[in-house]
Amino acid sequence: MLRFIVRRGLLSLLILFLAVSLMFGMIHMVPGDPATVMLGPKATPEMKAEFSRRLGLDQPLAVQLGRFYAGLARGDLGEDPFTNREVTVIVWEQLPYTLVLVLVAIGGASLLGIPLGCFSAIRRNSLLDRLTAVMSVAFIAIPSFVVALYLLLWLAVKWRWFPAMGAGESGNLADQAHHLVLPAIALGLGWVGYIARMVRASMLEVMEENHIRTARAFGLPERTVIVHYALRIAMLPTVTILGMGIGTMLSGALFAEIVFSRPGIGKLLYEAVLTRNYPIVMGSVLVTTGFFVLSTLASDIINAMLDPRLRERQGSGE
Amino acid sequence: MSRKEPQNWPGISRRSFIQKSSLVLTGLAVTGVPEISWAVHGDTLHVRNYQDLTSLDSVSSLSAAEGIISAAINQNLLRFKPDGTWDTQLDAAESFEQIDETHYAFRLKKGQLFSNGYGEMTADDVKFSFERMVDPAMNALNRPDMGPLSHVDVHDRYSGTFVLDTPYAAFIPVAVAGPSGEILSRKAVTAVGGRFTTEPPCSSGPYLFKSWQAQRKTVLVRNPQWTGRKPDFEEIHVYAMPDPKTAEMAFEAGELDCAWISVETVEPFKQNMPDNSSIRVLPSGRNYWLGMNQENPALTDIRVRQAIQYAVDVEAVVEAAWFGLAKVSNGPIPEGMVGHRDSALIPPKGDPEKARQLLSEAGVELPLRLRMDVNSDSLELTAVQVMEWSLRKVGIEVDIRPQDNSTFLTIGREDLGDQWRDVQLFMQSFTGLADPYYSLTWFTSAQLGIWNWERFSSEEFDRLSDQALATTDPAARSRMYRRMQDLMEESGCYRFITNSVMPQIYRNTIKPAFRADGYTMLREIRRPGSGS
Repeated sequence: MLRFIVRRGLLSLLILFLAVSLMFGMIHMVPGDPATVMLGPKATPEMKAEFSRRLGLDQPLAVQLGRFYAGLARGDLGEDPFTNREVTVIVWEQLPYTLVLVLVAIGGASLLGIPLGCFSAIRRNSLLDRLTAVMSVAFIAIPSFVVALYLLLWLAVKWRWFPAMGAGESGNLADQAHHLVLPAIALGLGWVGYIARMVRASMLEVMEENHIRTARAFGLPERTVIVHYALRIAMLPTVTILGMGIGTMLSGALFAEIVFSRPGIGKLLYEAVLTRNYPIVMGSVLVTTGFFVLSTLASDIINAMLDPRLRERQGSGE
Repeated sequence: MSRKEPQNWPGISRRSFIQKSSLVLTGLAVTGVPEISWAVHGDTLHVRNYQDLTSLDSVSSLSAAEGIISAAINQNLLRFKPDGTWDTQLDAAESFEQIDETHYAFRLKKGQLFSNGYGEMTADDVKFSFERMVDPAMNALNRPDMGPLSHVDVHDRYSGTFVLDTPYAAFIPVAVAGPSGEILSRKAVTAVGGRFTTEPPCSSGPYLFKSWQAQRKTVLVRNPQWTGRKPDFEEIHVYAMPDPKTAEMAFEAGELDCAWISVETVEPFKQNMPDNSSIRVLPSGRNYWLGMNQENPALTDIRVRQAIQYAVDVEAVVEAAWFGLAKVSNGPIPEGMVGHRDSALIPPKGDPEKARQLLSEAGVELPLRLRMDVNSDSLELTAVQVMEWSLRKVGIEVDIRPQDNSTFLTIGREDLGDQWRDVQLFMQSFTGLADPYYSLTWFTSAQLGIWNWERFSSEEFDRLSDQALATTDPAARSRMYRRMQDLMEESGCYRFITNSVMPQIYRNTIKPAFRADGYTMLREIRRPGSGS
């Protein structure tokens, strides 16, 4: 298992390095002058030149990238040229908002999607199954921002059950949880359908397998057969998808952060790209890519824990 | 072996679950769910700001988003009146007078305290605040606002004199009453290393800076040491909300008291106004125009540029993009400011026949194909589409090239390569200040390849620009600025569109106050009936 984790970890680092380097090149190749945007119209050409020098933008791209990694090795992602605050501080300030949103959204989607998928598989072709199928497709098909807008219109504007903006008062957990409901629903609703379809398909496949038939032949309670034998195996592809889902949601959280005016890493990155605030862009990209890679790694490890065959295969280097 | 059916939960059958849940839902529907109100109230005012803060220090603050907040926590010697004009009134100063063309004397009110124990405001603080703006070592972004300010002579604890090298007509509205003229405490700023960004070391205005949370809000609290009229709110929460749609929803949800909204939502709001609310469509300081790069080979012939001027139906553009809320512009200088022109040289509706005639005289083979760069903003995209329609009627086909703001801002820059040579038509906008010089300063020859993307160059214009800035007689200045706008229009490089509007929605539980350019004046917002 350890060997498996080490191998996966090294591969993740390589992916992270490639993704961040690629992003570094891409963002720097987009036309636009950070000095013009950041310093405003009154800045003199000398001020702009000095600004570019301070950011290292007068150096070749390879040198800039080298400096970025050298800083990273020291735990220094540079300073926000707007506010002169450390990028690490800015990114770590915003990250918890997005992480909580994503985890609640994916957690909620799993709590709904897994039982729905399970019931659909157990009651195949029943009314519940058909209803779940229709709802799942509808949830997947409706764009998240449309869900967000309707949630806002009905639950925040019309009925005022939930707040329309912000993330709640710092230190007030109940208020923060209340502010989390609508964005989490908007972000996670599509995943409910996706997870339900995924679990249903896997369950149907697993339920036909010999070990399930054997378990039933031994007279094990149906609930035990389903939860302990079938669902455990059926969850394997779902765990992989959830791992990817967390990573995708980290970047997809942007729309929820904009529509609900929430702070977060997505909004930070979006605004930084618009203003060509390279240090913030790179800090945000590094963190989101890092979490993407980490969540994928975690799903691989969980899969290996759930499925001994995978563990053995990886351990033997196959 | 038969498949075992899943067991029901103890005591709950499917039928009883459906029955019970239906009962609960019906009950809720009949009695109604208690409405939780998020609206404002009490002693806290909730206001939208259109972007987050970057710096509240006058040397480096860049936008009105910062000015809105810093004006509430700092004092100037003079401040703008909350009556929608650029007229000024005394603020920290007990008196302020112009001695001659290059000297201005001031006397501070006594007993005005900086917060956080930084003591009383003195003439030395005024000297510090202004001289750091012109200190080359500070590299102040807002240095141009100070014009030819040389130094400040301090006479005693409360009085002093500003000394200018040459006359500067914008000294009062831009340097003294604008955000660059905010008075900071020498001790406090020195204690934090000479400059700051989002955490001011102290305040002296009616409100104090309490906290700033990135991408969320800035919180101001009532200043207990304030000696002037007591502010009406215990706290002001200023939310950073770049998206106007989000702000509109938040207002409807009752979470904001005042918000700048987009022009397209004014009419729907008026049709279905949220309870106890009003809308005011205010003039804006943002000037929009269609620019033409006269050095591009397709546009070197002035008759072609003039044909474009005559082809564009500005009334239709303003009607479509600003929903008829804004007025057609006669030039960069807005109404109510020295130098505003009562009419443009070219009629707002244009003259397609004359446009065709000019194209014919220029020997242009039709259709003439041109590119038009524009910021990818929905309002501007609508505007250029109407222009495209106008131009097509005279045989000019336009390829619209929307670009994100950061890219767009570089298209005419000479120092970034040769891309400026390819620029043909573009829709551009600038925000003005409280003095006309700022609206026209971007079109001088010194700005060629910087902000003057039209490559407009006129000796007379440059001379008048310098003269008008050094002339303090309003009538003479007005003549000069009107002439300068005539020159711009005569060059064929510009088709003025509008000075735009800024719609603000607010609760009737407050008495809002706005500057002449539509921005909120936080410190002047009152409760109805609380006096002016």
